[in-house]
Amino acid sequence: MSIAHRDYWRSLEELAESPGFAQLVEREAPRFRDMLGPLDRRNFLRLMAAAMALGGLSDCGPEAEPRQLLPYVEQPPGIVPGQARYYATATTRSGFATGVLIEHRMARPVKVEGNPDHPASLGAASAIMQASILELYDPRRAQTILGQGQIDSWEHLITALFDRREQLLARGGAGLRLLTGAVTSPSLRAQIALLQQQFPAMRWHQWEPLGRGNERIASERMLGRPLDRRFDLDNADIIFAIESDLISNVPGWLAYARQFAAHRRPDETGGKMSRIYAIESTPTLIGAKADHRLALGPADLAAAMRYLAAITGAGPQDWQQTPVADAAWLRAAADDLNQHKGRVLVHAGREQPVEIHLLADAINNALGAFGQTIRLIEPVAPSGSTDQSLEALVGDMTAGRVDTLVMLETNPVYDAPADLDFTAALNRVPLSVSLALYADETAMASTWLVPATQEYEAWGDARAFDGTITIQQPQVRRLYNGHSPHELLAVLHGNTLPIDYQLVRDFWQNETHQRGIGDFDRFWHEALRIGIVENSAAPTVTATPNASALTSLQAAEKPVPGVQLLFREDPLVGGGRDVNNPWLLETPRPFTRLTWDNAALIAPATAKRLGLGIGDVLEIADHGRKVRAPVFVLPGQAADCITLPLGFGHTAGGLGADIGFDAYRLRTSAAPWITRGATLSRTGETYRLATVQGHDRVAGRDLVREGTLTEYQDNPDFLRRPETDQSLYPEYKYPRYAWAMAIDLNSCIGCQSCVVACQAENNIPTVGKDMVLQERIMHWLRIDRYYHGPVDNPAVAFEPVPCMHCEQAPCEVVCPVHATVHDHDGLNLMVYNRCIGTRFCSNNCPYKVRRFNYFGFAERDDRPPESWNPEVTVRNRGVMEKCTYCIQRIRHAEIEADKQDRLVPDGAIQTACQQSCPTQAIIFGNRNDRDSGVARRKASLLDYTLLDELNTRPRTSYAALIRNPNPKIGDREA
Amino acid sequence: MTVLIDLPREAPVVGPGVTLRSLSEEVSNRVLLPNTPRWWWIGFALGMALLLTFVVQLIWLFINGVGIWGINIPVAWGFAIAEYVWWIALASGGTIVSALFFLTRSPWRSATNRIAETMLLSAAPCAGLLPIMHLGRQGLFYWLFPYSSVMGVWPQVRSPLWWDFVCLLCYILMSIMYYYTGLLPDLATVRDLARTRWKQVFYGVLALGWHGSARHWRNQQTVYAVMSAIMAPMVISVHSVVGLDFAGGITPGWHSTQFPPYFFFGAVISGTALIMMLTILVRWGYGLEDVLTGYHLNALAKVMLVGSVMLGYAYVWEAWGPIYGSDVAERTQFFYRIFGFYAACYWGKIVLNIVIPQLLWLPIVRRSEVLLFSISAGIIVGMWLERFVIVIPSLSHGYMPSYWGVFFPTFWDWAALAGTIGLFLSLFFLLLKLVPIVSMSEVREIVAKERSR
Amino acid sequence: MNTALVLSALLFLVLLLSVWVVPVMGYNTQQRYQPEQPVPFSHKHHVAGLGLDCRYCHTSVETSSFAGIPPTETCMTCHSQIWTHAAVLEPVRQSFATGVPLRWTEVYRLPDYVYFNHSIHIAKGIGCTECHGPIGDMALTWKWPTLYMSWCLSCHRDPAPHLRPLNQVFNPFWKRTPDTPSGKLLMAAYHIHPETLSDCGVCHR
Repeated sequence: MSIAHRDYWRSLEELAESPGFAQLVEREAPRFRDMLGPLDRRNFLRLMAAAMALGGLSDCGPEAEPRQLLPYVEQPPGIVPGQARYYATATTRSGFATGVLIEHRMARPVKVEGNPDHPASLGAASAIMQASILELYDPRRAQTILGQGQIDSWEHLITALFDRREQLLARGGAGLRLLTGAVTSPSLRAQIALLQQQFPAMRWHQWEPLGRGNERIASERMLGRPLDRRFDLDNADIIFAIESDLISNVPGWLAYARQFAAHRRPDETGGKMSRIYAIESTPTLIGAKADHRLALGPADLAAAMRYLAAITGAGPQDWQQTPVADAAWLRAAADDLNQHKGRVLVHAGREQPVEIHLLADAINNALGAFGQTIRLIEPVAPSGSTDQSLEALVGDMTAGRVDTLVMLETNPVYDAPADLDFTAALNRVPLSVSLALYADETAMASTWLVPATQEYEAWGDARAFDGTITIQQPQVRRLYNGHSPHELLAVLHGNTLPIDYQLVRDFWQNETHQRGIGDFDRFWHEALRIGIVENSAAPTVTATPNASALTSLQAAEKPVPGVQLLFREDPLVGGGRDVNNPWLLETPRPFTRLTWDNAALIAPATAKRLGLGIGDVLEIADHGRKVRAPVFVLPGQAADCITLPLGFGHTAGGLGADIGFDAYRLRTSAAPWITRGATLSRTGETYRLATVQGHDRVAGRDLVREGTLTEYQDNPDFLRRPETDQSLYPEYKYPRYAWAMAIDLNSCIGCQSCVVACQAENNIPTVGKDMVLQERIMHWLRIDRYYHGPVDNPAVAFEPVPCMHCEQAPCEVVCPVHATVHDHDGLNLMVYNRCIGTRFCSNNCPYKVRRFNYFGFAERDDRPPESWNPEVTVRNRGVMEKCTYCIQRIRHAEIEADKQDRLVPDGAIQTACQQSCPTQAIIFGNRNDRDSGVARRKASLLDYTLLDELNTRPRTSYAALIRNPNPKIGDREA
Repeated sequence: MTVLIDLPREAPVVGPGVTLRSLSEEVSNRVLLPNTPRWWWIGFALGMALLLTFVVQLIWLFINGVGIWGINIPVAWGFAIAEYVWWIALASGGTIVSALFFLTRSPWRSATNRIAETMLLSAAPCAGLLPIMHLGRQGLFYWLFPYSSVMGVWPQVRSPLWWDFVCLLCYILMSIMYYYTGLLPDLATVRDLARTRWKQVFYGVLALGWHGSARHWRNQQTVYAVMSAIMAPMVISVHSVVGLDFAGGITPGWHSTQFPPYFFFGAVISGTALIMMLTILVRWGYGLEDVLTGYHLNALAKVMLVGSVMLGYAYVWEAWGPIYGSDVAERTQFFYRIFGFYAACYWGKIVLNIVIPQLLWLPIVRRSEVLLFSISAGIIVGMWLERFVIVIPSLSHGYMPSYWGVFFPTFWDWAALAGTIGLFLSLFFLLLKLVPIVSMSEVREIVAKERSR
Repeated sequence: MNTALVLSALLFLVLLLSVWVVPVMGYNTQQRYQPEQPVPFSHKHHVAGLGLDCRYCHTSVETSSFAGIPPTETCMTCHSQIWTHAAVLEPVRQSFATGVPLRWTEVYRLPDYVYFNHSIHIAKGIGCTECHGPIGDMALTWKWPTLYMSWCLSCHRDPAPHLRPLNQVFNPFWKRTPDTPSGKLLMAAYHIHPETLSDCGVCHR
């Protein structure tokens, strides 16, 4: 494993060490055994690489050995060679489903898109969803069944389980335990229920390391029973975010982000904007968009919330007496909230303690948010994960009361609270079966490792945040003989030949029968076609909030001196679930711009006090458990708070093993999110962190135009600059199409979805940490993050930067061989096969959007050939590349339109970034068409282009960033 | 090596003891005599050793691509281009001395022009190879040639790189012919003085049957004069075009109309400096004190001084533009140059190219070989730093703060530098051995003149 | 001196040849390249002889970038009735019986960075024979053009002479007659904008 993963980002040093010329040639030159694969784009490029390696000429001369064409024997209906097909399914995280459409080329899944019909997606696809296609193909997934660490067979496993089953039946299932994550799948829950019937004494435990337990407990105390919430941001004029993950992580955040952004575009809402207040200990995406933000440590935050509760009339008035910092700020915010009763939403992140959630709900209740901005539904994942559940299990295991433990796609050895010592307990279980996607820590510690199917390989079903059900259909035959959870449970039922298709289909046949839906086949095919089971969303229920819930709160705890550790989910690797995905590892984190690592995030002031700088390695000790972590100084972080991103530092599994440090080792069941009293010590070592942004501020350039709503209302074109466009030469004419892009800085929340979408669509290779350190990252689209204002709590602007497709492009004039040229639609083309690699174009690009293949990154990328997008050339070593506005999609649309002798209609072309964007910040289209979306965006008075003083005439333009500050609060920029 | 060369006020260009015959023998013997001096072997061995590293780095480069260097995005050009400019400047210096001063009929040029041209011929290949090495796909460099038989497309004539390619090609070809034309009579002399058969044949063939008839002389003189007349403006244009490679870009730090003259000044000073070093080497090594007199060194030193002053002027404008101008990017770029990560290089070039050469105002300095040699060496290094400062810091601090970055040279960057130096030394020492290093025919004229007075 | 002149003249000639002649020699262009095929399929027999339409086998030529190689079942629609025991058809019957596809050898091979789309050429009145030559008369399929970029461009830069009425696109023996509308006319009718056809992005992505 680790060899393979080193191979991924082989460093120059390793290269130099590598013994023998022969191996070198073998690596750089084509692997001839691969050359016979049909329909393989890479082989041609490998060949060119070889030709180059020998300094050869590669454009003319006789054919390489002939390729072969293999037609079908019987052509499947509907498959047209050369055309894409899309199939609906869903991908789940923490049990919650998001609908996707998967693009197939010649029956091979190549790209994940959001399913526009699915409520949790609305067509958008997060970075993690986009990257899931790579997980499907990942050659490092677990591929063989291991029994006692030896390679074993499915049959042996079945016999083993059957023997055990007899005994278990005899004692009614005593000693049998099932451990899963949150389960929303109706069919799986039915199977578990059936298991419960067969083995009454069996116990089912659930463990979600990053669960929403506090939220659940709070709503139990506030509403009487655990209920899920859905938020209606259309009704929210004011959002008060308490380190909220409303637009970054809550189930359904893609949908919320769209609603959120729709009310942040003053030029489209007729000058209206929602107002966002944020108080948080560590930066969040919604905090970055907030009009007013406070960086508060947990204790101050609690105090502030009590104060706010008091002055909004939600809590006892005497709380006003206790002095708090920023009282004026809170008062102004409270007034604002009070003025907008019924149209406010107070949302606290899942990491907040129960107390904060109670306070938030109390304020929501007092301001009439329930029923307006908050709708309640029955829990989608009932008896959702509780930490107690895992504690109970570990207790029984250590006590020897568990002799059979079945774990479905969960990794407690890695992510269970450190104080529980799950590993030791697991060793006391005679028979433990772990169904796992990777040979992860738990799988290796169990007696049986069963490779799991990736979601796109098996039948299944799951529910979305609003309860909507999706039936998941396999997109491809199982690549690595995995088995689905349904099959494993069926074995426990006594089924010797479990087939996931049968299991899921039978469940739904019977389900529809009970629901009285007549025509099952129609239902089945319709559900699979559109990707959702129609009207399966959970109905809203009403519950009267208990106004006196706050009385149960103890007195506010005094803020304690010393640093506190905050355990937070890494924004991209999902608490460890996705850490094996190279795309996600190499995608820069929104704030730190960090790749291939996690780091201890510290506020500038605190760092100065402790004498720490970026890259200093810190030893963090707590209750005798030690972790060594590199420091990253993060503006906007609350003083004395150290954020430790969870999900890294695996010791087993795939690519992710040995990357970063494991913060779970400090995390206890008592304090899962915040712990005090940890001791820090400098090790004196330093560690190189691979960040991608050179400078944090605009350095006097006119890159981010920003203003306030009032300014905009007074004078809508207050951000216009005098027209600087002067040219001695006649203008080019673009009679037919003028493809252009508009990016709205108000909508961009910096979630990085577009970055990964672009990578997936355009065959952009990963380069590895060493190359990122050498500033050779290949992303065509980047999201620059600029700060301004005080470093303790700066204003943040996210700015996606693709190629500007300048009408007067500096890159074009300097290329000596016409490798980058303009076309008649105004696209700035990059012709890879003509490029000889002078790199002058990149030097001459003011926006620095060009990327160069310093090595054969694509040839080194070890993803299987069939996983690349055949519509896009895979670039080989020594050529420049850059954003093409997804020219393959443009050409396809143009050809289809030309065949019917009409112009491409607006919306027929969506670039990959636009398609994946949850907030519709990116719009692409034909500027010549006056009523196209892009033309309307560009007509806005907020529209501007980057570095327009250079007169490059970019086709990509931006809508200025408008904030809606409360006039009663001193503008923080002032 | 004398500490101080005596420098008579009204100078004989050649020493008193030089007669026509002694001259021919003194010079051509260096070519003909079998016993080669040890210093030659040492120099040649050094050259070959470095050349070997060049070969190794070339192989490594072709196997792995330009990624072996420290270049990245934003700094997509590194040592290769900086050194290309450096070498082409050194080469042009040779042409300036030999062609420009031929047209001005400066007598001191006659003895040094052969050294200058030999240097030019040895430096030009280095300059020619680097741009090709730095291509992402070196094998396809020939796409720069204007032909379209297979792809139906032509090179882009708007690109400074293409002008550069054309100029460089013409320049190198012309230089070879120019060198050869001037060499013809001397090759004949060597042939006539040669004793062994193979030398007679070797130089006989090269001499193209020259027997010094009046017609031969007339033709050779005309051709030579015409060529000088072409070469002199050409070297200026070549260097201006190299300057345009940068001026043609909008990158802050490059986008400046002063680059063409700026680069020409650089060529004058660095070229002369290298000639100075080599002249002193030859003078001392071959004991040609009578032919290459203090008068020559003095003249070269003055040219160097002028070059240094001109360069200083360019540096002033380089600073004035950004400071006076309104472009914030240009200004931040310039302040980054002088105070930023690469500041040492900037101040290094100021000291070595401008400050120290001012010593040459003092006659005493111009008469000390040691000082002249070390000042020249300083200038060569300083010019390298100048090229570095032009190419790398400009790229590392462009318009987009989010994409500011730095460049660290890798082992292979240094290998490329050492390698080209090796190529230069090997070629120079080889030619030193094969051709008369002082133009006998021209010095003969001077000697004749001297006698006639 | 004269010898020198002659020598340089020769050198110049060699350069000229190597640039303008060598690349277009058959060895390099591989024109008339005619590989062995598992079944000696004859377009001449099926098209000229039996008058089958191109689209009978190449079904997706009007809809997709890829014209489509017929699945074995297409062959068997007829050859389950006629020539049922012909030895040359054994591989076809084998394939149909075993479900293992036939392995045809590709004759027209474009580099992977070239994206050719059959359907748009068909839709704009470019006949099959414009690129595939006298395909209707080929006993064994062979490569007709050089497939050099300059060859593609010759048409992309001046399409008019290569256009024909849409109803003649699939006619392998079509000849321009006096009453066929002129290329200019057809170009206008098909809304072809020749200036855009030589944009690099038309074929290279």
